[in-house]
Amino acid sequence: MSQSTAKAAAADASASAALRARSEVARLISYIVIGSGAAFLSLRASTLPTSRWEPLGAGSFPELVFGVLAVLCLTAAVRAVIDIRKAGGANRLGTSFAKWLVARRYSFALFGLLVVYLALLPLGGFSLTTFVFLLIAQLMIAGISKKTLIQSLIAAMIFSVGLNMLFAEVFNVFLPRGVLFAG
Amino acid sequence: MMLDAFLAGAHQVFAFDTLIYMLIGSIAGIIAAAIPGFTVTMAIILTLPLTFSMGPLQGVSVMLSVYVGGYTGGLISAALLGIPGTPSSVATTFDAYPMARGGEPGRALSLGVWSSFFGTVISTIVLILAAPPLAMIAVKLGPWEYFSLIVFALTIVASLVGNSLMRGLIAGVIGLGLATIGPDPMMGQPRLTFESSILLPGLPFLVVLIGIFAISQLMGEVEDHGKGNSSDALIPDVIEFKTWSVMREVLMHPVNLVRSSLVGVFIGALPGAGGSIANLLAYDQAKRSSKNPEEFGKGTPDGVIASEAGNSATAGGGLIPMIALGIPGSAVDAILMAALMVHGISVGPRLIMDNADLAYGMFVAMVVSSLMMLVVCVLSMRLFLRVTDIPKQFIVPTVMICCVIGAFALNNRVTDLYLLGAIGLVGYGLKSLDYPLAPLVLGVILGPIAETNLRRALMSDGDWTVFFTRPISAVLLAAALLSVIFSVRSVLKMRKKDRPATDEQDGD
Repeated sequence: MSQSTAKAAAADASASAALRARSEVARLISYIVIGSGAAFLSLRASTLPTSRWEPLGAGSFPELVFGVLAVLCLTAAVRAVIDIRKAGGANRLGTSFAKWLVARRYSFALFGLLVVYLALLPLGGFSLTTFVFLLIAQLMIAGISKKTLIQSLIAAMIFSVGLNMLFAEVFNVFLPRGVLFAG
Repeated sequence: MMLDAFLAGAHQVFAFDTLIYMLIGSIAGIIAAAIPGFTVTMAIILTLPLTFSMGPLQGVSVMLSVYVGGYTGGLISAALLGIPGTPSSVATTFDAYPMARGGEPGRALSLGVWSSFFGTVISTIVLILAAPPLAMIAVKLGPWEYFSLIVFALTIVASLVGNSLMRGLIAGVIGLGLATIGPDPMMGQPRLTFESSILLPGLPFLVVLIGIFAISQLMGEVEDHGKGNSSDALIPDVIEFKTWSVMREVLMHPVNLVRSSLVGVFIGALPGAGGSIANLLAYDQAKRSSKNPEEFGKGTPDGVIASEAGNSATAGGGLIPMIALGIPGSAVDAILMAALMVHGISVGPRLIMDNADLAYGMFVAMVVSSLMMLVVCVLSMRLFLRVTDIPKQFIVPTVMICCVIGAFALNNRVTDLYLLGAIGLVGYGLKSLDYPLAPLVLGVILGPIAETNLRRALMSDGDWTVFFTRPISAVLLAAALLSVIFSVRSVLKMRKKDRPATDEQDGD
């Protein structure tokens, strides 16, 4: 193996170790968040009134399930901490998480757009809000140029107004008309 | 009695409008799975709202045609572009792609189509033979055995799917937990709703399903944005399919065909394990048993036959536990089960007894679906090849809109859309962190069944030891424990070998 190949292989290995450590940090955070939530829900379920007709009340099963979930998350978190320590990456928690988020910025942007769309859907109605959502989402993914703008406008029109008509006429599913257009 | 039910089911499936809808479903399934990144599960999820206005058998037949078509559609991009259209066709790329590259794209596609057809037919025969007797046994199970069976199913799912047993278990238990939100299944008492009107009716299973699988998958699709999605397409203008000579070629490999199909049936029948595992296992078995294993990976027909027969046979295999026990074998079967539940049909061991025409109609629909897939593929494969060229910018947002419509159409409730958004984000987060999503979905659908059986089992005296003193229950719990132990052992072995962990995502 030549020296340059060896260097490249070492760099690759180090990059992949860094990536694994970063994923492990993100997972550790998820174990903590899910575990804490589960512990809270388990406690909350334990306060539900017991039944007079059976030994297990309405709260027993969720208490058991969320309790098990909290224990599983705790175990996974302990293991993740050991793995991260072995990888030597415990001192850069914030940076690792930020990099994980940055790598997924387009996905979160698309999700943000979806949230705005869902919030405006009851107001603007299906056709209008869907048209705007599709147009922006398509341009965000494809980039803005004359060609993509024309393509996106046509596709947005077909899949907003067209889908609305298809569902209303063929499947008898009536999508939100919107407060602005109601009455 | 059985013949009557069979004929009644066949009569409904062979109705003209049902056949037309199934044909459309078959085409839609093939097209959907031909698009890289678009899975069979997503195609079925999007079909579901369209079947609400249909009868139960008609709706399920249409979904089965999408299912069967979808398993075949993944082959197109696997053979021509070297990209598996769905995770179920990963092993197809090993030999179909080199064969296509070697100047025989038509033969590669025809081999896949015929193998899929025979795989589905063989699995349906096994389904017809296995499901009714299994259901007869299952109706005799008490709540103790049923609860233990669900525990076993969930541990099997967790240990088979994804890269980590622990995350599989966590995902499964999250699913069970999500199912507890809302009214309790026995007394209707509200739980963990925080007095929110959105949570009061509970989380609708289909909204959870669409959010967890479809929205998270679509968000994942734009992750590698900017890396370019143009592939060096290998779609020549003239493709010679050699349909009939390839059919003979497939039939000349009967041992491989039957073995791969049976592997598919077995894997499909295991809860959680679907086509994504079956195609690799069938391929591996074919390679091990071959006299020329060195030809595998270079374009041997045996490789294509094994992978495609294996993944298609999971369709029938997955229906065995669903129809006989009410436990879905995969996420897709969970959606089929949910579709029946939407129509007010309770799925469980009594399905074959109470709704025999429906169960036998599903068997007929499987065979009809595979025939349709065959006819559609043979007649119009050329058209489907162009589907792989559709850019992501159109697919991702449009499918997202279809998901929104699907979630809304279930109850006509705008609040379900807010749930969809929230669950989609959770699903995406879990998927990005390499949590397998199939155990979560199975957890959501099995949660209420597990709780009802647990509470019934303990209703008389609250004695937990009964689960270990009743023989079938004890065997099932021991099997669950063994599946965890084996899984932990294999992880420890892998760590010893010091193999780096992969960060692949699952999906089916």
